[in-house]
Amino acid sequence: MIEARDLTRRYGEFTAVDGLSFSIEEGEIVGILGPNGAGKTSTIRMITGFLPPTQGRVTVAGKDLSRDSVAARGALGYLPENVALYTDMRVSEYLAYRAMLEGMGRHESRGRIGEVLARCLLEDVREQIIGTLSRGYRQRVGLATAILHRPKALVLDEPTIGLDPKQIVAIRKLIRELGRESTLVLSTHILPEVELLCDRVMIIDRGKLVAEGSPESLRATSTAAARIRVVLKQDQPEAAGVLGSLPGVSSVRDVGEGGFEIECLADDDPREMIFRAAVERHWVLLELVRTQASLEDVFVRLTTQEVESPLDVDSGRAELSDGTEEVAS
Amino acid sequence: MSAFLATLNRELRAYFFSPLAYIVMAALLLINGFVFWLIVSFLSDPRAAVGAPLELFFGQTFFFWLVLLFMTPVLTMRLLSEERRSGTIEVLMTAPVTETQIVLGKFFAALAFYIVLWLPTLVYAGVIARYSSVDWGPVASGYLGIVGVGSVFLAAGVFASALTRSQLVAALVTFMILVPMFTFGLLENLFNAEPAKQAFGYLNLWQHMDDFSRGIVDTRRLVYYLSATALFLFLAARTLAVRKWR
Repeated sequence: MIEARDLTRRYGEFTAVDGLSFSIEEGEIVGILGPNGAGKTSTIRMITGFLPPTQGRVTVAGKDLSRDSVAARGALGYLPENVALYTDMRVSEYLAYRAMLEGMGRHESRGRIGEVLARCLLEDVREQIIGTLSRGYRQRVGLATAILHRPKALVLDEPTIGLDPKQIVAIRKLIRELGRESTLVLSTHILPEVELLCDRVMIIDRGKLVAEGSPESLRATSTAAARIRVVLKQDQPEAAGVLGSLPGVSSVRDVGEGGFEIECLADDDPREMIFRAAVERHWVLLELVRTQASLEDVFVRLTTQEVESPLDVDSGRAELSDGTEEVAS
Repeated sequence: MSAFLATLNRELRAYFFSPLAYIVMAALLLINGFVFWLIVSFLSDPRAAVGAPLELFFGQTFFFWLVLLFMTPVLTMRLLSEERRSGTIEVLMTAPVTETQIVLGKFFAALAFYIVLWLPTLVYAGVIARYSSVDWGPVASGYLGIVGVGSVFLAAGVFASALTRSQLVAALVTFMILVPMFTFGLLENLFNAEPAKQAFGYLNLWQHMDDFSRGIVDTRRLVYYLSATALFLFLAARTLAVRKWR
């Protein structure tokens, strides 16, 4: 449905997107994941035809986005990150305007506007001036606009940003429904959203595709596929060394108050060894829990390599903590 | 076509629903009313030279140009710059529309509103017709000139509005295009040598309006208006197509 070949975008010296190639099949729900500043929005803007790529090409529904631009754009519905609407128009007026812009007939558009208003729970505000609507309502008006002409592919850039928790749940429900009807590309930096909604994830960092696959397969292929949490009753100074020397353990992190985070390979299970080691030394084990690596671990691992480079410090890293925060909440 | 009509429709609405438009309309009527009163009271003096008031009204006074030079930038400054400032350009240009459709839709909305602004001046012709006689030919050609010059000015404004995200900058750039365009023509009077005099004369808008108000419709002038309008609109569409910002 959407095919990108060798997509590159430079802003002066800075390369925002660097030779990205991917293909999104019909009916798929694909999440584009990455810390802010990774090139998500630039990528989205290039596949929707707003930003011309410095290099490379995009086809949408078989139509080349630069040569057969109008036809290609007609197959797309787009909700940009900053939902900008004409604040002086009423909701129904705005949708009628958009329907006309999309080339829909008067009769067709009247019925369809009623449908999308109901779908996006906008019936109460249909005669309200857009400028007086709250952020959540505007987001829904944006979404209604994007699906108005029944696009073959729907592209949503950070659809839940700036919404309150209740609105986020409502929008996600709507997105899941829409995903059943059309191809859907979703960009976000919120991990649970991807796990919840997407069939396939593309992780982008510094303009490059660093990983791709279903959320499950990404977790499985991670170098640290499993994690074990150990809590001892008392702090044992030699514990970190002992645990680290056990076979199958790839790393140990002391989290304080007797707690340790142990990473091991997916196929290994060193829990028995840990238990025996503890018994031998008369340590009291309070907890011994094995957890599967979360998508968050994969994400953090893939996007925080070479932290020393100055670019990361001020853009990528800073945003990342923002991402993990939302996971915690 | 449908995208053009959608844009035209939306912009016309925006004009009639914005207070700015009514302020411009009120100012125009105030100034025009004053000028008309001035002309009529001047001509009604028995010692005054014989003249038709409407001829003087259309372009033969400096007021006409003052109004035009200040009014048109205000009418067009919002058109494209506001789309860029607010970010609505993103959903606009990802819809299946061409830059040309958008530019034409906005331009014709501005032109239509501009014509509406001038309509009340027909009352003056009515007033004259009631108390004296009106030669309707020159009145019609006078309005033709107003629309012609106006379309060039508005097209320049649309182009300036495509250049920036600030309405103020758009208005100033329009003004900076219009003032030289207007004054270049006046340079005609500084030259005696034929080619230079003719070249500047071709651009002399004051002279154009002078002729139009006397009922002289010179097709060279219409060609000039049409081609200058087309040039500015083409530049606006190209500017919109080169989306290098951000």
